[in-house]
Amino acid sequence: MSELLNYIWLGVLAVFQGPEIFSLFGFGIPAAPVMVLGGLLTGIAVGATPGLAGPMAMAASLPILISVFGFTPDALLPVFGFLIGIMKGASVGGAVPAILFNMPGTPDALMTTLDGHPMARNGQPRRALRIAQLSSVTGDTFSDIVLFICAPFLAVVVEAYLDLPEKTALLILSISFVAAVMGGSVGRGLLSVGLGLVAAFVGTGQALTPRLTAGVDGLADGFPLVAAILGVLILGEIFKGIEELAHEKAAARAEARADGPRLRDDLEKGDIRRIAPYIARSAVIGTIIGALPGVGSTLAATLSYSLASRRHAARRRDDEPAFGKGAPEGIAATEAANSAVSGANLIPVLSLGIPGNAAAVFLILAADSIGGFNPGPAVFKFTAPEINPELVTAFGIFTLMSIGNLLNWTIGGRFMRSMGVLARVPGQILLPVVLLLTLTAIYVQETSLFAIWVTFAFGLVGYLFRRIGVPVLPFVIAFILARPLEQTAREAFAATGGDPWFLFSSLTSILFMVAAVASVALLSRK
Amino acid sequence: MDNFLKPLALAAALALAPAASNAGDWAPPGPITMMIGFAAGGGADTQARLIAQGIEAKYGWKILPQQVTGNSGLSLAAELAKAPADGTAIGMVVSESLTYSALAAGDPNLQLDKFTPLATTASFELGLVAMADGAFNSWDRVAEAAKAGTPIRFGIASDRQADVAYLFGKSAGIDFNIVPVKGGAGVMNGLRGGDIDIGWVAGAQSKAVQQGEMVNIASGIPAKLKDSPDAPTITDLGSTFYLDGYFMFIAPGNLDPAAREALGAAINDVLNDPATEAHALVAKGFGGADVITGEALDTKMKTLLDNAAELLEKASAN
Repeated sequence: MSELLNYIWLGVLAVFQGPEIFSLFGFGIPAAPVMVLGGLLTGIAVGATPGLAGPMAMAASLPILISVFGFTPDALLPVFGFLIGIMKGASVGGAVPAILFNMPGTPDALMTTLDGHPMARNGQPRRALRIAQLSSVTGDTFSDIVLFICAPFLAVVVEAYLDLPEKTALLILSISFVAAVMGGSVGRGLLSVGLGLVAAFVGTGQALTPRLTAGVDGLADGFPLVAAILGVLILGEIFKGIEELAHEKAAARAEARADGPRLRDDLEKGDIRRIAPYIARSAVIGTIIGALPGVGSTLAATLSYSLASRRHAARRRDDEPAFGKGAPEGIAATEAANSAVSGANLIPVLSLGIPGNAAAVFLILAADSIGGFNPGPAVFKFTAPEINPELVTAFGIFTLMSIGNLLNWTIGGRFMRSMGVLARVPGQILLPVVLLLTLTAIYVQETSLFAIWVTFAFGLVGYLFRRIGVPVLPFVIAFILARPLEQTAREAFAATGGDPWFLFSSLTSILFMVAAVASVALLSRK
Repeated sequence: MDNFLKPLALAAALALAPAASNAGDWAPPGPITMMIGFAAGGGADTQARLIAQGIEAKYGWKILPQQVTGNSGLSLAAELAKAPADGTAIGMVVSESLTYSALAAGDPNLQLDKFTPLATTASFELGLVAMADGAFNSWDRVAEAAKAGTPIRFGIASDRQADVAYLFGKSAGIDFNIVPVKGGAGVMNGLRGGDIDIGWVAGAQSKAVQQGEMVNIASGIPAKLKDSPDAPTITDLGSTFYLDGYFMFIAPGNLDPAAREALGAAINDVLNDPATEAHALVAKGFGGADVITGEALDTKMKTLLDNAAELLEKASAN
């Protein structure tokens, strides 16, 4: 127990006694908390801009951060701080244009438009925004607390009970599950995962001559991770966006105007009591869904909203607005749920190294680029007397998340309400700026033009995927998990003395394999 | 214009030529690209970057560190072979890359004689490592368990380590389950997580051994380990091969001798200056600087190459 407390304390110290960003009146200001604040404000602004989402901002800022803070382990916490700030900020900011202009700032905020915008039109935009912020931050905080408790526990259990064959089976299960639940059909998910694995197997492996490179020297160590991931996730999205712009007639945008009589516009008495049960239920739903890799915040928001709608319909008094007409409970249910996803999503990342959404992908990318922190069960080894620096970093991350929540509670709302103007930035300006930032970012990190070509190639892949309705995230997740999968499988095969049936050597791994097959077989849709 | 400038340039070059042949006056004709064959952020990478930093500070030469990882250092060798042989491109690998790995891969363009060794930085403090409180914390216990039929998982981080482990086991009558993992850190993680039982680590175990978490149950080099002077060497236990080696800098083949001497001297200078961060790191994490340059290095590499050839032959004959 004292060991645990000691590590928590070291994590807090690592954040506040880390490298200084500047000094004020002779006191050094630690970089990490400042970066959380910077990330949070950036995230809120990005979330409030329709067409920009958290992952884009994370993609563009990651290489800039790395070139500022360098490749030393000291860089980990400031960089994670900024990325976590963006992650938290974007989920709050997404509600702003959803409420004010009926345009979701991020895909997660789609359901927020249903009640948030009607409330704004009824003359209470400020009240809607405050409810959104309150619910969002509460859901997020709850989810983080679950993460702090579950991730170390899960990691310790995994290390104690899972041997190499079971770890291999668990990776196979996660990849199958991601393929099964994301996108329109299981077949498309499997296609995406399969292509991701093939792409990741280029150039890696253990032979002394690189495999599958077709003689291209630049591929000897595989496709550059950053180039491939940003290509599929960001460039693909930009290409699609450009195409949509070309088709789009200057669509008239709805304005926030008050139709009804002028009302007092702030949280009303009893609001908090009314929405509290909805926030609580949605936070739990969001957290549970977030902990499963690959199941996104949109599902959490949809599920919570429909459950809340049923409950509300049964209990509503006549003078209260119904769902879809500006009910505060509707805003609360969606915002709490979609924000609760983000913290819980880090449970599989930190304890198993398995990313479940785009934000988690970027955290893994940051860890991989900087080095010195390898998300996975090995992080949570409470070694003594030798300090496990990865564990200190993990508790540092928890500290950063808590700081992020505190800032979100206090100044997040104020900043958020001033962001409405960003909804008017036109796509013709936004997309090229993001494209330029992304390419610059990749060049800064990889310093080779070859990486830029790789990025474009993967961007094309991402665009084609979007055109034919194949989900891109399974591709990226499979691309990231391919190396651990191959490595663990190799280790398991060798450790069992070359047993070809190592995946079926224990009850646990058989269970995982059955679950993998079942997830594909039972979750098919349409 | 061209005709006017050419003789001038030639004259300038001639005037500078005698100065350039003197190593003491050698300076790189441009920024030096330092390729690093190790993952960013690890111990070996930090070592390379601190040496770069030290040379910049002492000599004012601009150095651009760059990661070129993969295929046991051979990706770096392939990249370096294409770079100009004028001292503006150097690479950090382990001696194993250009001896064992190059021989095993068999690409004629990536052999030792196609490169110029510059300087070693530190030698491997390679030990056979196990958890201090585990069931395999001495060689006797390993041998006993193996006799009793317990399969023993032996973590290795390169093909050469796998060959030596295999032949070592054979000479001791043990059929190890040889598990390939990623680097010394992979071996140590595997030991801590109970995924493997014993494994080779080339120096990164030092801290864990000093703090009593792990033990060196044998030394894999032709000397006693500094941390564990009581541990037998693997040849005492029946192995015919060692796993000795060095972290080292190399340059493309046919490098100007003046450049070779100057670069080797610069590396030596930084590593043996107690004021540099590189010196402190190597003293703390790599058992101290062990810099070999020039002809002594050529002889050393020749010996390592012969040993590697013999090991490969023995391993494939078995």
